Amino acid sequence: MNDKVLKIHAENVYKSFGKNEVLKGVSLDVHENEVVVMIGPSGSGKSTFLRAINQLEKIDKGSIIVDNVDVSDPKTNINKVRQRIGMVFQNFNLFNNKNVIDNITYAPLTLKKMTPDEAVEKARRLLVTVGLADREKSPVSQLSGGQKQRLAIARALEMDPDVMLFDEPTSALDPEMVGDVLNVMRDLAKQGMTMIIVTHEMGFARQVADRVVFFDQGVILEDDSPEIIFNQPKNVRAKEFINKIINA
Amino acid sequence: MRKKYYFFITLLTIIVGLIIPFSNNTNIGVAADEKSHYTITTDSTYPPFDFQKENQKEYVGIDMDLLKEIAKIENFTYRVKPMSFNMAAQAVANGQADGIIAGMAITPEREQIYDVSTPYFKTGVVFAVAKNSKIKSYEDLKGKKVALKTGTAAANYALELQKKYDFNVTYFNDSNIMYNDVIEGNSAACFEDQPVMQYGIQTGLKLKIPEQKLGNAGGYGFFVKKGQNSQLLKKFNRGLKKLQNNGKYDQIVGRYLGSAKSSVTKEKKGNLPHYNIATDVTFPPFEIQAKNGKYTGIDMDILESISKSQGFTYTLKPMSFNSATQTVANGQNDGIISGLTVTDERRKVFDFSNSYFRSGFIWAVNKDAKINNIKDLKNQTVALKTGTGSADYAKSIQKKYGFKIKYFNDSNTMYNDVVVGNSVACFEDEPVMRYAIKNGINLTIPKQTPANTGEYAFAVQKGKNAALLKAFNIGLKELKESGKYDQIKAKYLGSKADTNKEVGNTKEDNSVWGLLSSNREMFLSGLGNTMLLTVFAILIASVWGLILGIMGVSENRFVRGVYSTIIYIFRGLPLLVLAFFIYIGLPNLTGVKISTFAAGLLTLVLNEGAYTGAFVKGGFDAVDPGQMEAARALGVPYNQAMRGIIMPQGLKIMIPSFINQFIITLKDTSIISAIGFVELTQTGQLLVARTQKGFAVYGIVALIYLIVITVLTWLSKFIEKRLGF
Ligand SMILES: Nc1ncnc2c1ncn2[C@@H]1O[C@H](COP(=O)(O)OP(=O)(O)OP(=O)(O)O)[C@@H](O)[C@H]1O
Ligand SMILES: [Mg+2]
Repeated sequence: MNDKVLKIHAENVYKSFGKNEVLKGVSLDVHENEVVVMIGPSGSGKSTFLRAINQLEKIDKGSIIVDNVDVSDPKTNINKVRQRIGMVFQNFNLFNNKNVIDNITYAPLTLKKMTPDEAVEKARRLLVTVGLADREKSPVSQLSGGQKQRLAIARALEMDPDVMLFDEPTSALDPEMVGDVLNVMRDLAKQGMTMIIVTHEMGFARQVADRVVFFDQGVILEDDSPEIIFNQPKNVRAKEFINKIINA
Repeated sequence: MRKKYYFFITLLTIIVGLIIPFSNNTNIGVAADEKSHYTITTDSTYPPFDFQKENQKEYVGIDMDLLKEIAKIENFTYRVKPMSFNMAAQAVANGQADGIIAGMAITPEREQIYDVSTPYFKTGVVFAVAKNSKIKSYEDLKGKKVALKTGTAAANYALELQKKYDFNVTYFNDSNIMYNDVIEGNSAACFEDQPVMQYGIQTGLKLKIPEQKLGNAGGYGFFVKKGQNSQLLKKFNRGLKKLQNNGKYDQIVGRYLGSAKSSVTKEKKGNLPHYNIATDVTFPPFEIQAKNGKYTGIDMDILESISKSQGFTYTLKPMSFNSATQTVANGQNDGIISGLTVTDERRKVFDFSNSYFRSGFIWAVNKDAKINNIKDLKNQTVALKTGTGSADYAKSIQKKYGFKIKYFNDSNTMYNDVVVGNSVACFEDEPVMRYAIKNGINLTIPKQTPANTGEYAFAVQKGKNAALLKAFNIGLKELKESGKYDQIKAKYLGSKADTNKEVGNTKEDNSVWGLLSSNREMFLSGLGNTMLLTVFAILIASVWGLILGIMGVSENRFVRGVYSTIIYIFRGLPLLVLAFFIYIGLPNLTGVKISTFAAGLLTLVLNEGAYTGAFVKGGFDAVDPGQMEAARALGVPYNQAMRGIIMPQGLKIMIPSFINQFIITLKDTSIISAIGFVELTQTGQLLVARTQKGFAVYGIVALIYLIVITVLTWLSKFIEKRLGF
């Protein structure tokens, strides 16, 4: 595991919103091809940490290095780094003024990363993999929740990211739609995508995660394999939390 | 959609119904002989050929006078039907009327439809330029802008010249706006029929005709339907010949265009000094606006006589009394004649002429109020007109008699405040008050009346325009010596023998329909100005507002600060203050004069633009922040994400606000009337001043606004749908 390339290296990250200190010295390493699942109580700082990785949230202290680039350094061209980090949001955040395929091609065309033909061709391939090949021209308002999230994943993949960040990608979905989205993510993992996923889908985590990280009150309390975290967590608060979600 | 369509048609019908004149026919003629009575159509306004005399329904002009004389000689009677030129021509073509005389040029096309008399007037197209223009010939027009009036023969002729002389053209629907465009230097020249142009210049337009070369020379004729009314045509030709032989023809033409000799002197007028004279829009009997938009009254007649005798020309600038005094005080206008009382305070800023009128202050009360003695005013409210001598006088006795004061900007509103009983009395200059009461204002002058005499004089900015002041004094002296002065005074105030003679308000049809049809031109021109201001203000303010809104969501703090400051200032300033500041204050700072239209437009753009900017920013802010995050997470820079994702969604949100703002802009144009822009509201005020029919006139004005607003809303929604939102 450790001979693999280090993709994300976060060290002693601090972040406050006003007086509310949300991240209190978080350190985490993620290597190439690794799938890391983050769990933890509401308000513990999972989203904030995830958003700090692509600098949607600026950090106060510490450093975050992605692909050997220090994203917390003001001199870094953050737009360049973000192009290599795909992000999937809980609320999809699809572009409401664009149809399905334009959602995917918008970024590469705006950034002149591809020719229109290349962008569309790649978008079509991605639509096939996420099962939306027949919805190319639909307005996004006509998609179901599950379809929206699969489109959001395709949109992120169009940019050929090195790393994918998922912030509770299935928690806004009706239960019957969750499976399809998780399947897409599972395929991604199989293809060796490096991923950090905030999710409380235990079954998925057990199957796919290389490591599970337990967040609590702005720090990482436990970081281990899914078997250990789910079956015999060392930390008391982790144990309480896991019991709670298993019995929920 | 269908429903809306019918709604619109209904509205159109209402508008057309409002605008088309009702039986506005003028009966002229005696002892109708059945076979020799004709209906003759004419253009409702085509001076000097066909137009209405000030304050009178009767049509005059070269055409009308010729027709009258010919009818007399040839012993027939007729009825004149004035209407739009196109309608007038069509009424004859389809047999509804017997003949048309309307400065109508003889052309081969027309000879196919009509039989035509011998030409009664030689005419052609000339071009006119601003007085100080160096343009001498067609060649000088190369690359310049030329103003044309849509659909006229002169315009067609200019278009023929266009290729050869390579100028650009711009179109106007109304001669006056076209002339003004040239006067203000926006266009280099305009093309017009020679007599019309010459008459315009003679009556004060600041234009000149650089070369008297007639283009497209031809003649005006009297037309009847082809193959019909040959008797009438014969009579016309015979009568015309007689008039030409006995010299009557020359007399008539000379009446309007000056004799051959005088038209030569008029040519020289280009070098005469020219002044801008400010006056009150309504201060009867000193300033009265007649139906045709021209000003009359004691002041006006004196000014006109003096300008003629002393050899200067002037442009009249009617505006509120306060604006009038201020624009002269700050040099924006050259002089003021406005029933202006000489006071010591005013002597500090003005140089006054000799007094041309002696006036006293008087008070008037509601007929039902039991007020006879000035002591009865204690604790009552008294209405005053801002900035007048009578107001100063009332204030000086306020303490002594213990009354309360309320101010108005215009006399009519002040009178009505007393009529309806909100105030018990008003103070006014004596001749003005008496004139108003004579013309139907329901007030009475108590026996015991305070007396304080004042002198009216013409004024210029202190230390400036000494030549003008001198000319005025000399002219005034001559007027008094020749007895003309007494004539003018008697015309408006009546001699003692006939004090009941009404001037300026002869029997008019004051019903709603009567008001509408007899003042159609005024309403249309007011509406036209309102629309012009609205359309430009909407377009420019929307663009400016969009720019502001985009500045408001900029990533740059400094740019956002500029946005906030602009919004703070221009949303905070009352529109009226802004208008006065721009029109009266700005020229003081910059020394550059600014037209009322430009000042009004700038005012509206700044004010409406600020509101627009605020809701544009609001619209952008209302877009779900997740949209921006998603774009940024993909590595799209802020500005590009703004343009590609946020703005399209924000614009959709703000469409109702835009429509709302358009309506507000339309309504706000009425405030621009305060600086003297004659739009719809101002037109209403002028009409009320003349007719005293506040309810009917403002009712009409209100209805027109509602109709326009309905159309505007409908149009906006239509465009919204068309844009696919
Ligand atoms: N933009 C912000 N401004 C102020 N406080 C914030 C902001 N974003 C998050 N917080 C606060 O930071 C804390 C951590 O929030 P965060 O969203 O990271 O938690 P989380 O672990 O993702 O919780 P959940 O499971 O509910 O999503 C919370 O107390 C939250 O209220
Ligand atoms: Mg969260």
